[in-house]
Amino acid sequence: MLFNSFDFLIFLVVVFLIYWYIVPKSRKLQNILLLVASYVFYGWWDWRFLSLIAVSTIVDYTVGLRIYKSDTKIIRKRWLYLSVLFNLGLLGFFKYFNFFMDSWIDLLASVGYNSQSTWALQVILPVGISFYTFQTLSYSIDIYRKKLIPTSDFIAFGAFVSFFPQLVAGPIERATNLIPQFLHERKFQKLCITSGCKMMIWGFFLKLVVADRAAIYVNAVYNNIENHEGLTFIAATVLFAFQIYGDFAGYSLIAIGTAKLFGFDLMTNFRRPYFAASVSEFWSRWHISLSTWFRDYLYIPLGGNRVAKPRWFFNLFITFLISGLWHGANWTFVVWGGLNGIYLILEILLFKKERKGLFNILSTFILINFAWIFFRAASIEQALYIVKTIFMTPGSLFIGSGDDVTASLYATLAIFILVLVELKKEYFATLFSISKHKLEFVRMAGYAIVVCMILYFGVFGKGQFIYFQF
Amino acid sequence: MIGKKHIETLRKGIKFILILLVIDFSLGYITKQFFYSQETGKYARSTQAIKETEAEILILGSSHAHRHYVPEVIEKELGKSCYNAGAEGQQLVYHLALLDMILKRYTPKTIILNIDEDFLLEFEEAYSRLSDLHPYYDEYSKELKPVLGLRSNFVDVKLFFHLYQMNSTIMHIIRYGASPQVDYKGYRPLFGTIKKSNDQRHKEDNNRENRGDVIDQNFVNTLKNIIITVKKKNINLVFVTSPSYNEVDHSKNISFSKIKEIIRAENVSFIDFINNPDFIHKNELFHDPSHLNDSGSKLFSKQVAQRIRRIHSGE
Repeated sequence: MLFNSFDFLIFLVVVFLIYWYIVPKSRKLQNILLLVASYVFYGWWDWRFLSLIAVSTIVDYTVGLRIYKSDTKIIRKRWLYLSVLFNLGLLGFFKYFNFFMDSWIDLLASVGYNSQSTWALQVILPVGISFYTFQTLSYSIDIYRKKLIPTSDFIAFGAFVSFFPQLVAGPIERATNLIPQFLHERKFQKLCITSGCKMMIWGFFLKLVVADRAAIYVNAVYNNIENHEGLTFIAATVLFAFQIYGDFAGYSLIAIGTAKLFGFDLMTNFRRPYFAASVSEFWSRWHISLSTWFRDYLYIPLGGNRVAKPRWFFNLFITFLISGLWHGANWTFVVWGGLNGIYLILEILLFKKERKGLFNILSTFILINFAWIFFRAASIEQALYIVKTIFMTPGSLFIGSGDDVTASLYATLAIFILVLVELKKEYFATLFSISKHKLEFVRMAGYAIVVCMILYFGVFGKGQFIYFQF
Repeated sequence: MIGKKHIETLRKGIKFILILLVIDFSLGYITKQFFYSQETGKYARSTQAIKETEAEILILGSSHAHRHYVPEVIEKELGKSCYNAGAEGQQLVYHLALLDMILKRYTPKTIILNIDEDFLLEFEEAYSRLSDLHPYYDEYSKELKPVLGLRSNFVDVKLFFHLYQMNSTIMHIIRYGASPQVDYKGYRPLFGTIKKSNDQRHKEDNNRENRGDVIDQNFVNTLKNIIITVKKKNINLVFVTSPSYNEVDHSKNISFSKIKEIIRAENVSFIDFINNPDFIHKNELFHDPSHLNDSGSKLFSKQVAQRIRRIHSGE
């Protein structure tokens, strides 16, 4: 079920009413409701995928308890390995099997040994598998590290794994934050409901008005690269930067807002990343739940920065390479991750002081955009062609023909509004605020106008969230 | 069971919805005034077809209709008024809805439906492009609901919001307000000719739209509904296929075979210009392999009119 669908709106209203008006006093019944609702939400795509989530829940629930109850380190480790193998195996099979088979065959072909792939499988990538496998992995690892006591409440654990607001595209929640919320009574709080609704409204604006509008131009260019020149690629890449931001930050806000409606607090996932004055700052503002996941469960176990410099750089680089691969089974994502790793290493080598100011913000934005080319292109060859064209053949700017022209105008307008709002939040937070205005009417009218903008400028009926494929 | 907090939140929710509805209604009203004030562009043309034209001959179809039929030539040949209601990118579902809206007001004597050979093949955009008809929903909900309902169960709820009805129209209004898009009774000519060196590429370009290879039963029903609707009103219906630059073998085109089967079963007049020798490989008559230029359109319109005259006179 897509957030930007009418089905979801009806689903949400029904679940909300049952949750607060039919079973408001029973935490257990509320958890059962959330579990059932989450399975309905996920099964809406393909009910067969439910078995994966159910097995994942059973395995990690059992592993968690076993690790906790085991006295010897070896036994604990074995249970942890089971969880890691299971979750990464699931991910590896569904997401990376064909990719690695094809890459292996390409490698053999490059040394003159041609073979046909007889191993390629017709596997459909289950929506959100990268998200919930990482979430359950963190549960087992945290218990192993004795940071978390496993829950014996199977329903609460099942609801934690499949919690529908963040199930398919994050934020990737930590068990230490989310499971306790399933174990304690949730109270109906007016403030939570209103702030949840506000977040959802702004999330829908980001998705339907910013991301989906920008996507029209981006797709027109990136799906037809042979017909475009350098300036157009620059414009399309900048628009893609806003498309992916609007798409993913929009999804995260809708997820956080939806969770708030049920009394849950999810972690912040984006903090105006394009105002970052360095790449390291960018990564502290972009997809925070994933970057902190990699920090806690990969980078630090590798030694983090408390090792010799070469090893530190290796740790950084490998973390970003794997983070790139996490985004998709394609070498373009690996290069994207690698580029970000190189940026960070160079920053450490070149800059000793914290960077600030407009010049650094702009240069960071340019570096990030350069990496986005590899993220968006269909192949490395395409990405290299785009880079070459940008430098060698600037040419003229494609603004579209017919209705495409209006699409790029809408995208520009939407991005302008987004930048204004974010600029205000970043630098003038204490200035006049509609959302905090003392008059209720002003606050409501402000959000009603955002809803009207969505209705008037939004793209309806097409857009799937980009991160569903990851 | 329901506490003070719940009631307070409910009160707030209702208040918000009321404010939203007032703003939506007010802005919706203003944008609708802008919408109907358009004098050129695709919306101005559809409004003209729905609300104003009283032409005796009406042309329907996709860009091939819009770009190939010159009303002035047809009027001159047949001595009857003509309006070109063809719309770029639009498919049968759009034209059925448009036809229903037009017939609510007046009955033309003849309708020419330009047939694209692939009209019946699955094509998801055919449904999403129906949003061009949303601005008319307030006045034509009865005519539009069956068509818009093909892909959505919540048409009434979605189109309850006036701004949703007017979604994505403002830039179009501004653009064609600032730079009018000239048309001649709905016809917009294309100029320029095919360059010989590009023939091969054009051959490949012939089928640009990304369609499936399966027939969409909704489209079959729509075509049949168009025939039924027109017959009920005793309107002369003529199906025409436009000329193509390259010779095309349609013997394996399941959509075109089905269309011809329906034409035969329903006994509809059919003028087939595909592979017509007067047009094949005539660079000077084509703007691109799929579309005639102004000279080609004038020649085509004249020949279509002459053939219609012969059909009507029983030759």
